[in-house]
Amino acid sequence: MTREPAMLAQLDEIGGMPELAPYLDQPPQMPAGAPGKVGLLRLGFAMQDGRSVLADLYRVAPLLVQQALYWDEAMPHLPICMVTSIGGGTLQGDRLGISVTVGEGACAHVTTQGANRIHAMDANYASQTQTLTLGENAYLEYMPEVTIPYRHARYACRTRISLPASATLICAESVMAGRKHHEGERFAYDVLSLATSAQRPDGSALFSEKLLIEPGLHGVDLPGVMQGFDVFGNLLILTPPAVAERIQARVPAQFDGKAGIASGISRLPNEAGLMLRVVGRESYQVRARMRECWAVAREEATGATLPPEFLWR
Amino acid sequence: MANGSLTELMRVLQFGDSTLPVGAFAFSNALESALQTGVVSDVASLENFVLAATRQAAALDGVALLHAHRAALSGDFAGVIRADTTLLQRRVGEEQRLMTTRMGKKLAELGIRLSDEGLMGSWLAAIRAGKSPGCFAIAHALMFAGRGLPEQDAFAVHQYGVASMMLGAALRLMKIDHYDTQTLLYRINATVDDAYARARTVALDEMAGFAPVFDVLVAHHVKAHVRMFMN
Repeated sequence: MTREPAMLAQLDEIGGMPELAPYLDQPPQMPAGAPGKVGLLRLGFAMQDGRSVLADLYRVAPLLVQQALYWDEAMPHLPICMVTSIGGGTLQGDRLGISVTVGEGACAHVTTQGANRIHAMDANYASQTQTLTLGENAYLEYMPEVTIPYRHARYACRTRISLPASATLICAESVMAGRKHHEGERFAYDVLSLATSAQRPDGSALFSEKLLIEPGLHGVDLPGVMQGFDVFGNLLILTPPAVAERIQARVPAQFDGKAGIASGISRLPNEAGLMLRVVGRESYQVRARMRECWAVAREEATGATLPPEFLWR
Repeated sequence: MANGSLTELMRVLQFGDSTLPVGAFAFSNALESALQTGVVSDVASLENFVLAATRQAAALDGVALLHAHRAALSGDFAGVIRADTTLLQRRVGEEQRLMTTRMGKKLAELGIRLSDEGLMGSWLAAIRAGKSPGCFAIAHALMFAGRGLPEQDAFAVHQYGVASMMLGAALRLMKIDHYDTQTLLYRINATVDDAYARARTVALDEMAGFAPVFDVLVAHHVKAHVRMFMN
């Protein structure tokens, strides 16, 4: 198996982002990007003998996937991969790269084993690049668990998406303010940079955004930003316009300041699909709201529903 | 025209005037929903909400404006269109896109009636042909670049427009008087130098923002039953 030159090049690229410029010093522990600090994962799903399978798997620790399992009772043909990080969290100097490809007509679900804990840092930064590539009529649910940035964490994640107009991608992202019950650690991280861009296979741009949060520079306790809330979540749904319209009609905007949960779904430019924004006081509220919308999106895109969540999740 | 001339000052006054016929009165920039949901409930929370909106505008629209202004000064029309499409690609919510493109087109239509239109005529033709979306910030860039007026002026006038539009809506939506709105506008305008200093070095592809509650309010307004404003 060869190393992945394209993925490695992307990892290098992220270090050029201006918000990371103050954090290029080397950790006193293992140097940034050293063997053991670079985790790579390449998952390729394809139709084989009439069903979706994990046809390509390449991994470099600390990222690990063992095999695809088929446990979704409403979509028994859906291969599910659980990404494990054997590192016990993301540390300063870590460079992670994940690439998921879903071939024509295939479907897949990718999730993570637990929260993405971005540990406290005193040197350098951690980064993750995600490349999601879908073929014609492909269907991918990319649903990692919540990210928790600890004190002075610096974390940049860049997601690149390519999909044709016939494919559907449901991509989740949620972030806590910190370990809020640990010495009231709330927005105590240094920088969180989450960039996403989506395009068609011919290169035409669909939608981009970059969420840049530097709590020490710009307070987030403003109305309209995060005042009254500790957790935010995005559910990006890239799907054909007819499907997007049906999903939007079924997902009401909700704002409950007392309970501390609010959400709303909006149309993206270029008929790319939808974006659900959720803010909550606690992560379980955000998770539940995102799950409701995920169920609607799956129903409208595939005709299958979402089974109840396992008790242990 | 020499920079720093009285004519330059008069242009800034005219292009920043709230009577400029761009239809700003029809938009509240999510303030209507902010009041309905209780996110804004008094003068203090209004100030912070408008402050957050101007901060978001500086980091997104303001960056695109500066790139379009520089492209226009060097005669790079493709660069103007690139700034316009890159900005719209980052706009979540149909009402937000409606606001910026409607006001942008109106300003372009005004721009071509004045002398020294620069690239405005070509840009308006591109908007009508569906080749450029027509964002408001880009219209500001061309209004100023065409007359050799500096990018700082264009940036400041755009920022002023965001705050004055929202405070104008506040007068009709909540219990507040003109003395209060002018006091808030005066204070919020004092943040523009810092905003410009941060925006001026940001690459077009690195335009960033963070206002999740604002985006929830934008979605809330689309489905609201009682609406005085278009967003």
